[in-house]
Amino acid sequence: MHVFTLMVTGRFGARVYVAYCTLYCLGTILAMQISFVGFQPVQSSEHMLALGVFGLCQLHCFVDYLRGHLSASDFQVLFKATIVATGTILAVITGILTITGKVSPWTGRFYSLLDPSYAKNHIPIIASVSEHQPTSWSSFYFDLQLLVFLFPAGLYFCFRQLTDANIFLILYGVTSIYFAGVMVRLMLVLAPVMCILGGIAMSGMLNRYMKDVDASPVILGMPAGNLAQGKQGDKRSKHKQESNFVMKSEIATLFVAIMCFFLISYTMHCTWVTSEAYSSPSIVLSARSHDNSRIIFDDFREAYYWLRMNTPEDARVMSWWDYGYQITAMANRTILVDNNTWNNTHISRVGQAMASSEDKAYAIMRELDVNYVLVIFGGLTGYSSDDINKFLWMVRIGGSTDRGAHIKEWDYYTPQGEFRVDKEGSPTLLNCLMYKMCYYRFGQVYTEGGRPPGYDRVRGAEIGNKDFELDVLEEAYTSEHWLVRIYKVKDLPNRGL
Amino acid sequence: MSHTRLLFLSFVIVVAGSAQADLVNKNVETVVDISSQLAKISNKVTVENVGKTTLKSLIFGVPAHLKERTSFVTAKVGEHLLRVTETKLSGQDGGFWKVDLRSDLAAGRTLQLNIDLVLSRALVPHPGQITQKEKQLVLFEGNVYFYSPYLTEKQSLTVNLGTNSVESYARIQPVSQSDNKLNYGPYEKVPPFQEERLNIHYENNSPFLTITRLERLIEVSHWGNIAVEETVDIEHQGATLKGSFSRYEYQRESQSGISSVKSFRTALPASAVDVYYRDDIGNISTSHMRVLSDSVELELRPRFPLFGGWKTHYTLGYNVPSYEYLFNQGDVFVLKMRLMDHVFDDMYIEHLITKIILPEGCHSIELTAPYAVERLKDTLHHTYLDTKGRPVISVSKRQLVENHIDDFELRYNFAKVLMIQEPLLVITAFFALFVLVIIYVRLDFSISEEEEHSRVDREHKDK
Repeated sequence: MHVFTLMVTGRFGARVYVAYCTLYCLGTILAMQISFVGFQPVQSSEHMLALGVFGLCQLHCFVDYLRGHLSASDFQVLFKATIVATGTILAVITGILTITGKVSPWTGRFYSLLDPSYAKNHIPIIASVSEHQPTSWSSFYFDLQLLVFLFPAGLYFCFRQLTDANIFLILYGVTSIYFAGVMVRLMLVLAPVMCILGGIAMSGMLNRYMKDVDASPVILGMPAGNLAQGKQGDKRSKHKQESNFVMKSEIATLFVAIMCFFLISYTMHCTWVTSEAYSSPSIVLSARSHDNSRIIFDDFREAYYWLRMNTPEDARVMSWWDYGYQITAMANRTILVDNNTWNNTHISRVGQAMASSEDKAYAIMRELDVNYVLVIFGGLTGYSSDDINKFLWMVRIGGSTDRGAHIKEWDYYTPQGEFRVDKEGSPTLLNCLMYKMCYYRFGQVYTEGGRPPGYDRVRGAEIGNKDFELDVLEEAYTSEHWLVRIYKVKDLPNRGL
Repeated sequence: MSHTRLLFLSFVIVVAGSAQADLVNKNVETVVDISSQLAKISNKVTVENVGKTTLKSLIFGVPAHLKERTSFVTAKVGEHLLRVTETKLSGQDGGFWKVDLRSDLAAGRTLQLNIDLVLSRALVPHPGQITQKEKQLVLFEGNVYFYSPYLTEKQSLTVNLGTNSVESYARIQPVSQSDNKLNYGPYEKVPPFQEERLNIHYENNSPFLTITRLERLIEVSHWGNIAVEETVDIEHQGATLKGSFSRYEYQRESQSGISSVKSFRTALPASAVDVYYRDDIGNISTSHMRVLSDSVELELRPRFPLFGGWKTHYTLGYNVPSYEYLFNQGDVFVLKMRLMDHVFDDMYIEHLITKIILPEGCHSIELTAPYAVERLKDTLHHTYLDTKGRPVISVSKRQLVENHIDDFELRYNFAKVLMIQEPLLVITAFFALFVLVIIYVRLDFSISEEEEHSRVDREHKDK
């Protein structure tokens, strides 16, 4: 995009040409060495633009070269002919490639960038990831603090002095801020350019005012500089000088001090954010009890280690895809789906198993050949990222493929349209596999003083379906604070006469 | 005539070379303690030499079905330990040990001995599978009488069960049950090699943990520190859990899962510091350390409670100062450390591997073990600042109990001047780096003439 802009604004030169060609060729070839990427840079449509600009570079330089060697009129003819010919050839080739399917069409992820509501309507899996949600203002401030305000200032400074590099920064900044507004996870892309632009703004402003901090030696220098300007400006600035002369250094010092204060607070904010939000691992949770001592919830590692030690080596574990990597790494067991599963139908099948009643779910589990099922349950401790809170996404994803057509999201809501787990909850929800697995034997547990047994601390309600037995599953292990619950899938019953 | 059967220990006086019984066990008092996972038998035997010659040793034994289960055997007169060696008697299929007496037993004299045996795996869970609600019942198959090549005149047996809920016990009269004990005997005139099964089926909820593999790594450094690391594979070998594990019942009902193990206490040497307790996936935070005056007590809680058939794995490590264990005179060093250490009370280790890593440059290494161990091949271990590698001495042994905790002696030669090798390596490396940099910045690789010109011009100007 940068190179294209440079070409359009007439700043294209040998330097940029060499740089871009080297970067593009080397970069694409090196990227294709990674087996996951493969031939995508030349096949997928997201990379077509870069290829197009590459071609355009070559053309541009060729044209410049010819211009130096041909006469004006010849050149014009040749120029027009070349443009037309190239345009036609490109169109034809692209058409053929798209039709034969060599070049894959735009993927869902890309569409959701342009149209934020695309994912919600069409691909629930992409919509369900919390990092794909649009960014809120508070998360902008949380991540960037001072840079939010320095960003426009930086853009202004860039515009004041347009050089090749500044154009790059402007383009990068504007596009990445648009994309960061669409998806939270693209805040990562925004971060470097924010820092750069913020730095430009900060240094521009400080430059301007640092000169004024020292009062005395400036007297001699100022008039000389102002004489170089126009007379009017000269008078005005002399006036300004004389009238503001006393205060100039004070104001400058004040300004510099304020800037320093901002910078210090920015540093403190960043270190605090990193320690609180980005460093604390979510695998070991901790909380403060009422007497201010720390309680550690090491349930995840406890349950995964139990899986690792006490299940057969070839056991297969079914869980929601958030925990796939954790189970693979810590429990060392085969799982069905994890964060990297591309097969939407497979994930949808797991969602159907979780959302169906026990019998139907048993058929799906036998089909998928599952030995153990793992769910995360936060009702006893108040851990809110548990599977019941993610359940609606499971329903949506489960119902998004053909075999899950019988799973409809509104079946799981009350007639008033609420998602409730207490007596008012929908009977489909109260009898589905996920509900039963999470709340098995929970109906007798006293979680909070003054509340009835079976009070779910996350949903804030006493559960509706309490005393039930599981037919097809057997409780294999529940961790100490009931965060992780593992069930064993029973074998087919021995059918005797 | 009902023959009373004796349990494990029997004192037999054997004339060297002859199988005739010249000894008589005048009185035997046996106490069998089966309240934990191990069966500990202690016999107090009074032996009389009824022959005509002085005897230098005696023989005692266990019945054939207990031969494989015997882990540890000692014999004492008063406080002095006697030498016990395994032996065989022709025509008999039991396990026999020969005890060498400190002073010969003259004809007509009597001697009082204490013979202790520890049996592992003698308590079999029966039924083999229980649900979480049930209690663990074990079956003990022993021998009522003393198994001895000599005649026993009088014998009595007390079985200490630790509980008074007994399903069934062998009714070999006279027998009575009181409190937590079963009292058998006294039995008169028991012939040699007399066997009668003592079957006791009772409740035993003590931890039935077996350490399937214990690897103990001792790394010796002459700079004053010895690092010990133990990798433990531990399995609950009591009655296996049948059915589901209900966390609700486990937390609410105190009797639920009564035979499961929640935590155990390990005693470390008193000078142990920097203790860490971790496993494959990270640090295990559930442990408590108490520094006592004679040991460091570590209460270890595995990540999950161990029910029957469940196993876990962990690594425990600590540092001890070397002045307590490493002694030297000139160039000769002696390391005196325990071959294995305490993991929990009444423990049973199936396989122990001890590895001792000595510093580089040690040679003429001799190992003296307190009991028979299998010495594996010496290997080399490479770590920081090593050129040739450090020698590693490995020994292996099976079926160990707490009584096996004893010191080994490792003697080796080490030239003290070799200690300088490690700092010297570091110094040389840095020295070489600095020299290289010094030379490099003084090299001139310029190609173009301008620089040379400007230098020449400057020189001209200066002139």
